[in-house]
Amino acid sequence: MRDFSEPPIYDDLIETDRVHRTLYTDEAIFREEMNRIYGGTWTYLAHESELPKANDFVRRTLGLRPIIVSRDRDGKVHGLLNRCPHRGATVCRDDAGSTRRFTCPYHNWSFTNSGDLVGVPIEEGYGPNFDKSRLGLGKIRVEVYRGFIFGTLNHELPDLETHLGTAARRLDEWMDRWPGGKISVRNGQHRLMCNGNWKLVSDNSHDGYHPGYSHASLLRMRKDRYGGGVDMQWVLGNVDDGLQRLYDLGNGNTFLDQRPEIERYWYQSAPMPGEDSYAATLRERLGERAEPALDVVMGSGMNLNIFPNLLIIGNQLQVIQPRTVDSTDLIWYSTSIEADDLPPEVNALRMRLQEDFPSFGEPDDLANFEECQAGLSIPEMEWVVTSRHMDTGTEYVDGNGDLAGLPTDELGIRAFWKEWLIRMNATTKLEAK
Amino acid sequence: MKDLNDYFDPGFTVDDILGDSKTSTYVNDAYYALLRADMAEWSGIGTPLTEAERQAHEALILHENWLLDRRNFEQWYQLYTRECSYWIPAAHDLPGNPQFDPQSHVTIAFDDRRRMGDRIVWLRTGVAYSQLPPSYTLHMSTGFVRVPTGRPNEVKIRSQFLLQEMRSSNPVQTLSGWMGHVFKQEDGRWKIDRKLVSLLDGQRGHHNLTYLI
Repeated sequence: MRDFSEPPIYDDLIETDRVHRTLYTDEAIFREEMNRIYGGTWTYLAHESELPKANDFVRRTLGLRPIIVSRDRDGKVHGLLNRCPHRGATVCRDDAGSTRRFTCPYHNWSFTNSGDLVGVPIEEGYGPNFDKSRLGLGKIRVEVYRGFIFGTLNHELPDLETHLGTAARRLDEWMDRWPGGKISVRNGQHRLMCNGNWKLVSDNSHDGYHPGYSHASLLRMRKDRYGGGVDMQWVLGNVDDGLQRLYDLGNGNTFLDQRPEIERYWYQSAPMPGEDSYAATLRERLGERAEPALDVVMGSGMNLNIFPNLLIIGNQLQVIQPRTVDSTDLIWYSTSIEADDLPPEVNALRMRLQEDFPSFGEPDDLANFEECQAGLSIPEMEWVVTSRHMDTGTEYVDGNGDLAGLPTDELGIRAFWKEWLIRMNATTKLEAK
Repeated sequence: MKDLNDYFDPGFTVDDILGDSKTSTYVNDAYYALLRADMAEWSGIGTPLTEAERQAHEALILHENWLLDRRNFEQWYQLYTRECSYWIPAAHDLPGNPQFDPQSHVTIAFDDRRRMGDRIVWLRTGVAYSQLPPSYTLHMSTGFVRVPTGRPNEVKIRSQFLLQEMRSSNPVQTLSGWMGHVFKQEDGRWKIDRKLVSLLDGQRGHHNLTYLI
């Protein structure tokens, strides 16, 4: 067994075909991750539609750091560390709202919504050399890609779109299912708590191997009640003989594409309340034009994973929010599509559909993650296998130049650890400025 | 009220649910409008139940609790009308909070009769790992009041609840809040037509909410 009385050398924990269990269980590693991974690379913070107007804000975290994502009076988006420069109290204590000033409740220092210190009670007490311009809220480097707000404390990273690379193109495909439509993230969310390390969640999101087994309950319920052909039946049997593919998009981003298995979205969708009533309404009103509208009810058939915390699954944004080394919050933000030519019934159906997987799919995964966490506590069993399809000769480079493989390939997990190691070993100073 | 035994077909099993309500035909704009109207009515001033109301309605809610705590989902299903709903908003501070509207917001659970059936079939597959081992629950309801409604032939009963859940390897969890039950006569019996569960912390995260509330 390895001796970890010394600080761990991360390279020793990640081998080409396996990774060490302590990556999931060690508290010191977790604390470093929260600083180096979250904030050391472009990290998803919020969606622009959550703060639609000037002066709107939402409260979030970057790793474990409390932060604010705000719009200033001109509508520009800012990422601010939620920490008064004076004595450390958080200055924003609401989950969301609209304000021109954040005022610290402790001594009433007040800040603009772009982070500048503008008010200090009885200021003369700090003497003549007091410089308010040096005491603003810590500022996160923020960029927006088509509504998705990312932030980092790494000032050496390239711009967001360059960093996303082909992941940005896949994000385009996800957003452009209804041409001209805008994605809105203002329709509530599921918040699921899991007593497991956050990386168990991301491992699973590029794992095309587990669905036929971990989701046996969902698949069996559907088949027993509705017969074949409904949602996700393509994950049964040897999925490597099927049409799904998995891609390494670079910088830790990955993509499990289920779309080639979908012939007609509406007919292969999971069941949802209102399905028959609204389909009848739309077909009566729109005739054949109802069909493409019904198709965008169904999930996208995409698992697009943006390192380290954004997993776009179906129609939802699943955000990973680590709490401790062995507990994680998963927030499944539901989405709707805003478009003048999209019938509103589609979004009512999308709400019901987006309750399906958090009810009948995700809970079984979370139960399995928690049992992984329990098993990984055993010191004598040191390693986790990540070698699937590494040397079966099935990987290839696709037309975009991305490494691709069969759906059960563990290339997504290997891509994740490659990026993880780069970020953990990076010597770049992370700064709020 | 009718003897509670009258509610249950003793031969009714999960196999009967497999073939029941396989389409979803009544959730539409009008149904969502009805739920919004319900929400407004739930804020009404309640009156403690008469003895007759206790026999007809409180007894049914208490028995519903008992069935859920015994995981007798097949009998639970028979307490509901043919066009029923079981709804747990992912929002708190109801009925005042506008985030409740299920037409525009996802919920913790929004089940029409078909999805209630799906949920029971899913629990009975024997491979729903989130319920292997199962959750054992204890429902406690109190504070029953009848709330005025403008809808003829319906009775609205509001109550407060505490729920404890225990699952192997996990600590006991407590949920609380209020419930709204709308009763309607069907086949000569009062049945539950719409059930609303308003959790104290509906907007927050929960651990493995796969048991029935």
